[in-house]
Amino acid sequence: MNPSHPLQKVLVVPCSGIGKTYGTVSREAAYIVTEDLRPSETRLLALSKLVLGDEEARSAVEGNPAITIDGCKLACATKMVIESGGSITQDYAVLDVYRRYRQFKPQGIAELNECGEQLAQALAAEISQVVDRMNADQTGGSNG
Amino acid sequence: MAETLELMIDKFIFRIATDRVYSRNGLWVKKEDRDVRLGISDYMQQRSGDIAFVEAKPVDTQVKVGDEIAVVETIKVNISLASPVNGKVVEINPQLETAPEAINQAPYDSGWFMVMETEDWENDSKTLIDAQTYFEIIKAEAEEEIGSK
Repeated sequence: MNPSHPLQKVLVVPCSGIGKTYGTVSREAAYIVTEDLRPSETRLLALSKLVLGDEEARSAVEGNPAITIDGCKLACATKMVIESGGSITQDYAVLDVYRRYRQFKPQGIAELNECGEQLAQALAAEISQVVDRMNADQTGGSNG
Repeated sequence: MAETLELMIDKFIFRIATDRVYSRNGLWVKKEDRDVRLGISDYMQQRSGDIAFVEAKPVDTQVKVGDEIAVVETIKVNISLASPVNGKVVEINPQLETAPEAINQAPYDSGWFMVMETEDWENDSKTLIDAQTYFEIIKAEAEEEIGSK
């Protein structure tokens, strides 16, 4: 890797819906990825900053690939990243993820139940794999 | 696409297809020769939220009015659907398993639930209501709910 061209950080942009179980799962998964699983390769970006037009957030979105996690079909995270000029490598909808992990039925809002935590973990693991592939592509690209 | 009555409440628009009848708990029933096709109303699907899973009674299940014909799990609630007719399940919408979001996207079309062979439609249909009556019921329900907030 050329140190003068550091790898881009992958932005993880979860749903900002407060008071919704699936929104909480999306944020929990984002925290797990950015704080525990891939802290040096990813960065959490609060959707509210994009909604408010925060310059630093917009610039981050314009300069880095993003993974979005939406809590409902309104898909606010995905729409806002696109509207802010970003490029989305992978978009997740928590409901679709739950359909793949039916054993983890999420419940709770401020605090998820154990299944909700497990669903967030499963989603975070999937996102981490995507991040790894993105980084492998970047590294391969910069070596080639 | 069926013609619909439209009820606007706050930011929501609920559509009631006029070419079928309804049970009071939100199922629509459409007569097709000797069978009936069933589904849930737009009002019910919007109130219940995005559907995650549907477990319908299998083909050949014999049911009476009021028997459970399906359980719907949404992001908000689990709902048990009661049969509006006496009869036998003869067809299940395969999308219930592969793409249950069809129910949210097109509750009166591709989001149908099942086809049932009826035993006594003439009698069963007496307990069902037309679109206009169903419209008035949900309108009163929604307005009462808004008024209580």
